[in-house]
Amino acid sequence: MAFAIEFFLRRISQGLVIVLLVAFVIFTLLRIVPGDPMRIILGPMASQTTLEETAKELGLRDPMLIQFGRFVGEVATGDLGRSYIRGVQGGSTGGSQDADGFDPESRASVAGLIANALPYSLMLAGLGIAFALLVAVPIGIAAGLNAGRWPDKIGLYTSSLFVSLPNIWVGVVLIFLLSAKTGWLPAIGYRGFEYTIIPAIVLAVELSPVMIRAISVSVAQNLGETFYSVGLVRGISRRDMIGKHVLRNAAVPLMNLFGAQMIGMLLGGLFVVEYIFSYPGIGMLTINAVFQRDFPIIQAVAILASAALVIINMLVDFASTLIDRRLKF
Amino acid sequence: MSNPSVEVATQPNLAPAKRGAGVTRRMLKRAWGFTEMKVAAVVFATMMFLTIFGPYIIDASATQMNVSARFLPPIFMEGGQYPHFLGTDQLGRDLLLRSLIGLRNAFAIGLVSVIGMFVLGCAIGIYAGYRGGWVDVVLMRLTDVQMSIPVIILAITILGLSRPSPLTIILVLILASWPTYARVSRSVALAEREKEYVRAARILGASDLRIMIRHIAPSILPPIAFVAVLDIARMMIFEAIFGFIGIGIQPPTPTFGTIISSGTQYLLNAWWITVAPGVLLALALGSLNLMGGVLERARNQVLQGGE
Repeated sequence: MAFAIEFFLRRISQGLVIVLLVAFVIFTLLRIVPGDPMRIILGPMASQTTLEETAKELGLRDPMLIQFGRFVGEVATGDLGRSYIRGVQGGSTGGSQDADGFDPESRASVAGLIANALPYSLMLAGLGIAFALLVAVPIGIAAGLNAGRWPDKIGLYTSSLFVSLPNIWVGVVLIFLLSAKTGWLPAIGYRGFEYTIIPAIVLAVELSPVMIRAISVSVAQNLGETFYSVGLVRGISRRDMIGKHVLRNAAVPLMNLFGAQMIGMLLGGLFVVEYIFSYPGIGMLTINAVFQRDFPIIQAVAILASAALVIINMLVDFASTLIDRRLKF
Repeated sequence: MSNPSVEVATQPNLAPAKRGAGVTRRMLKRAWGFTEMKVAAVVFATMMFLTIFGPYIIDASATQMNVSARFLPPIFMEGGQYPHFLGTDQLGRDLLLRSLIGLRNAFAIGLVSVIGMFVLGCAIGIYAGYRGGWVDVVLMRLTDVQMSIPVIILAITILGLSRPSPLTIILVLILASWPTYARVSRSVALAEREKEYVRAARILGASDLRIMIRHIAPSILPPIAFVAVLDIARMMIFEAIFGFIGIGIQPPTPTFGTIISSGTQYLLNAWWITVAPGVLLALALGSLNLMGGVLERARNQVLQGGE
């Protein structure tokens, strides 16, 4: 497994650099946009002197590079900081009650907030992917096996249709049809598993077109390869060739797609869908944090998201070299 | 051909700028052969006509409030009133007109941002691929970094923290989406760089800039044209999402996002406020996406050697 060790060492070091750069970009971005977070931390009643003192205490007046260095040091030890706004007990404190100073201990830790929200997001993402696969795999394979004929057209039409439906609209329309009008499923907030179903359908509508296209293209390409016709000539049945070889080979580009495109899309979809449904996941947490200028949360989510992206891409590349030995990393 | 010497040097069948352009022309011709392309083009042209001339044709106002005409249903339902074809919203404003203006804004933002990311991405990609060496490495790692920040996080952060305007929305979309174009055009430039006609042009004294623009750039269109068409639709969806979250173009300018989000409050009694504009948007996006999809197929067929 020398190959595996070399692979991971190289990719992990590359990944670390990428995540560090992403962290720097987000960190700088948050500090050059207008709006002083101190005003939000301390509330409208705080005096200018308290404001300055607390800012100095928190290190928000130091040069940016020093702030960034300190931040990286903290992240490296696993400390993602504390929210500016959210109290330990949950809920926003609004800031005004401690106008004479700021006690970081009274605010919720970012790591804790994320750990609370993550399972909800993962559950939603998992269910969304499952729904999407349920639709995309049959349509995609049928389209790929019958390039140019009607299943192929159906693939083109469904993916063009689904990709043209904005998730915000699908979300609201489904709330109207499945929840408000018929009362079949609950929709807003979270009080049990059934609250995940409508959001997951919306997510699936967003994800499936990319899957359908990727699967059909990949399957069709493999049918055109020489190994397929050679296999048929050698007397292997069409069913065996497709089941054992074509689909297996077609899985490689699909996994690459999962890494490169899907995860980004999935994250974006999660953010929006969670916002529509007030679903208590990472997306909701982040959007609220942006509106409340709760920088530590935004930073942490951005870094974790890019780290996840890097890691998943690494695993995907590794898995595809395992499936298809012709690929070198 | 403004430079006959290059023509001569690479005759007979390696005429430089013609190669990329030739593939592009073949691809477009083939795409036009699909019935879907014609249908989508007609739908799209109709939508564009309506967004431009609709406000002059329809005798109603998109921003004027009219209390007596609140919550009018679409014209095909009981209680619908001319000229409110798609009904009116909670303030009595005509929904068809609002949607058409929203469509115009969304399309303008989509088109401008795609042109922007196309130009920026291709310029960076061609330069990286043509130059090679450390320039290439640095620029490509930059695309890695850019691609490792999910679009929506970047957009929400920038737009949520600054004051959103059409310009900032366009800039954010460009910033978030240029790497795809850079990647593709880089690989094209990398492949073209070593080709005979580029070497010939270089020997004949063509400047690097001239080679990049005249000889390499035309080859980029076939692999990326369909991405650009699909991206216009994608950017329009982003515009709608931003409006919905409240970080897009601000009211009273109608956008799909704000119309849909305001309609959520009246979903049970006046569902058309949300549904009607969405159908219109989906029609426009559907025609764009269908054209993009067909273009991709046409490209694949041309590249596989079909004439």
